[in-house]
Amino acid sequence: MILRGIGEGVTIALDAIRSNKLRSALTILGVVIGVTTVMAVASLVQGIRRQIFNAIEVAGPTTFYVIRYFSQTPVNPDRLPYEVRIRPVLRRSDAEAIGRLPEIRYAGIWVQVFQKAEYQGVRTQQVIIFGADDRYMDIQGGTLLRGRLFSRAELSGEPVVVLESAVADRLFGRLDPLGAQVRIGGISFRVIGVFQKPSNIFEPPGQATGGVVPFAAARESFRYDETNALFVAVKPRTGVAVGTAMDGVTVALRRSRNLRPGDANTFDLITQDQILDVIGKFTSYFFLAMVALSSVALLVGGIGVMAIMMVSVTDRTKEIGLRKALGATRRDVLWQFLVEAATLTLVGGALGILLGLGAGALLKAALSLDSAVPLWSIVLACGVSVAIGLVFGLLPANRAARMDPVEALRHE
Amino acid sequence: MSALIRIRDLGREYRMGDERILALRGVTLDIHRNEYLAIMGPSGSGKSTMMNLLGCLDTPTAGEYWLNGEEVSRLTDDALARVRNREIGFVFQTFNLLPRATSLHNVELPLVYAGVRGRERRERAAAALDQVGLGHRMDHRPSELSGGQRQRVAIARALVNQPSILLADEPTGNLDSVTSDEIMRVFTQLHAGGQTVIMVTHEPDIAARTERVVVLRDGQVESDRVNRGAAA
Ligand SMILES: Nc1ncnc2c1ncn2[C@@H]1O[C@H](COP(=O)(O)OP(=O)(O)O)[C@@H](O)[C@H]1O
Ligand SMILES: [Mg+2]
Repeated sequence: MILRGIGEGVTIALDAIRSNKLRSALTILGVVIGVTTVMAVASLVQGIRRQIFNAIEVAGPTTFYVIRYFSQTPVNPDRLPYEVRIRPVLRRSDAEAIGRLPEIRYAGIWVQVFQKAEYQGVRTQQVIIFGADDRYMDIQGGTLLRGRLFSRAELSGEPVVVLESAVADRLFGRLDPLGAQVRIGGISFRVIGVFQKPSNIFEPPGQATGGVVPFAAARESFRYDETNALFVAVKPRTGVAVGTAMDGVTVALRRSRNLRPGDANTFDLITQDQILDVIGKFTSYFFLAMVALSSVALLVGGIGVMAIMMVSVTDRTKEIGLRKALGATRRDVLWQFLVEAATLTLVGGALGILLGLGAGALLKAALSLDSAVPLWSIVLACGVSVAIGLVFGLLPANRAARMDPVEALRHE
Repeated sequence: MSALIRIRDLGREYRMGDERILALRGVTLDIHRNEYLAIMGPSGSGKSTMMNLLGCLDTPTAGEYWLNGEEVSRLTDDALARVRNREIGFVFQTFNLLPRATSLHNVELPLVYAGVRGRERRERAAAALDQVGLGHRMDHRPSELSGGQRQRVAIARALVNQPSILLADEPTGNLDSVTSDEIMRVFTQLHAGGQTVIMVTHEPDIAARTERVVVLRDGQVESDRVNRGAAA
């Protein structure tokens, strides 16, 4: 009963699409747009999330950071709020104090700045240059491809740089970068090594890592913001719980800053979980916003389906009368038009999936993410398309089902 | 033998605002299996109303209608749909074929609603087309057929469920005289094969080829006589 309705309905729907291409195209346009957006966003968000998890895995979920002040949106360094201004700026001695704790394997003061790198007229986009030390890759992951990391002597402020490999390729092509002088933010640095980032690390657009220089060199060469750019990277010893290590760091810093019990901390600790949280929140807000947008498109599409199905029902009044005369029950007619609407929207959904996958692939290529589109999102998109057809087809289908056969047959 | 159709004091009233129109006022009639009957009458006499009631497309506002021993005047919409599917084969003046469907698919439609599937459905539809001499036009669409051929497809569609009654409303109204003649021969043949045929017509020479003529006037039976010419 239901199956026979579907068979007939699909045949009729495909027929109706073929015989009235423009009308069908308009009917499903909204659905196509809606599904395209959802698919593109789903594949993008999926890609981003996967990269983030990979990045966290590389850096090790136990690494955490000390920062002057942590908020979800970076504070404006020129107009610091009072509660930030009273906090001391992080210093090398803070990192050294933390590093002396028995729970801690490594603590180093780092800075990150945005600069362009240049070599003989070739320039990169703005990239992140880290001012760090020779343990950089232990903490952030990655592998040294050529050359070496900083020597003890260089750490005291020599203008040397270990370039990220994509940046090195961009600047040097097939030339040997080792020993060459590149300009970073207008300052000359000698290239002593090339490293490769972990392949699947997540970097938002415009936030690609470009290279690492000694912390002291970065401090001398670049202007940076002491609140947002300066931090201490901390890695606990193996076997030490992150919570324990963080407690140790908190106690040590409070003591060295002479804070009394009851005083608030004058620093913040950030764990990978928190970073993940922020990014996760950001992507899910983004996702929600896109879902809301595409819901509007789908709603408009659904109303389009309803309007055009109404016209179609009126157009085919005589056919409905005939089918009833030949023995179609109300349910048969209802089903026929519901299946027709669902077929239309499913075709729209399928187009939307293809377009969305295409758009997602382009976006991912542009952002150099890599990930597969989750199967569930395809299934979901198909389901949503069919549901829209069924819901918005209900009114026209019901109108068709309730037609009086005599009246309908007389209709011209 | 009990009548195939038993109508008692059948009435149909239309209301248009405050106005009441009595399209049928107390029609009583018995029609037996394998009768060949024409309903005649001037325009507005109630012929179409009568056909709609006989075909279970409409329900009366008064009286009784027994079809095949079943009281059908008080059935629900869906029950009526099933009766139409099983018992009635309609032939319309304007053919009413689905324009984009082939002859075969047009003829299959009543079987779709009878729940007949797949090969059996195709075979029965093809057999019905053979019966009206259109076995070689199964894959043609209505636009590729002449008027007479279209009406034959419609007759095949009416026959395919082996209904108790073939109901035709002015079946030759849109055809020239040669084609009309051809179509009337199909009806005569079907009747000879045992089919009950009821048709509405206002053309006396069409009515003359049936065996019984019922004339309506103002919603009542004016005359009901055996057609000597055809019976002979
Ligand atoms: N749907 C309707 N609403 C109102 N009056 C109708 C309707 N159908 C038929 N009538 C009226 O009923 C009478 C009989 O009509 P009909 O059965 O169509 O006659 P015929 O087919 O013999 O010309 C006419 O007066 C017609 O105007
Ligand atoms: Mg009439």
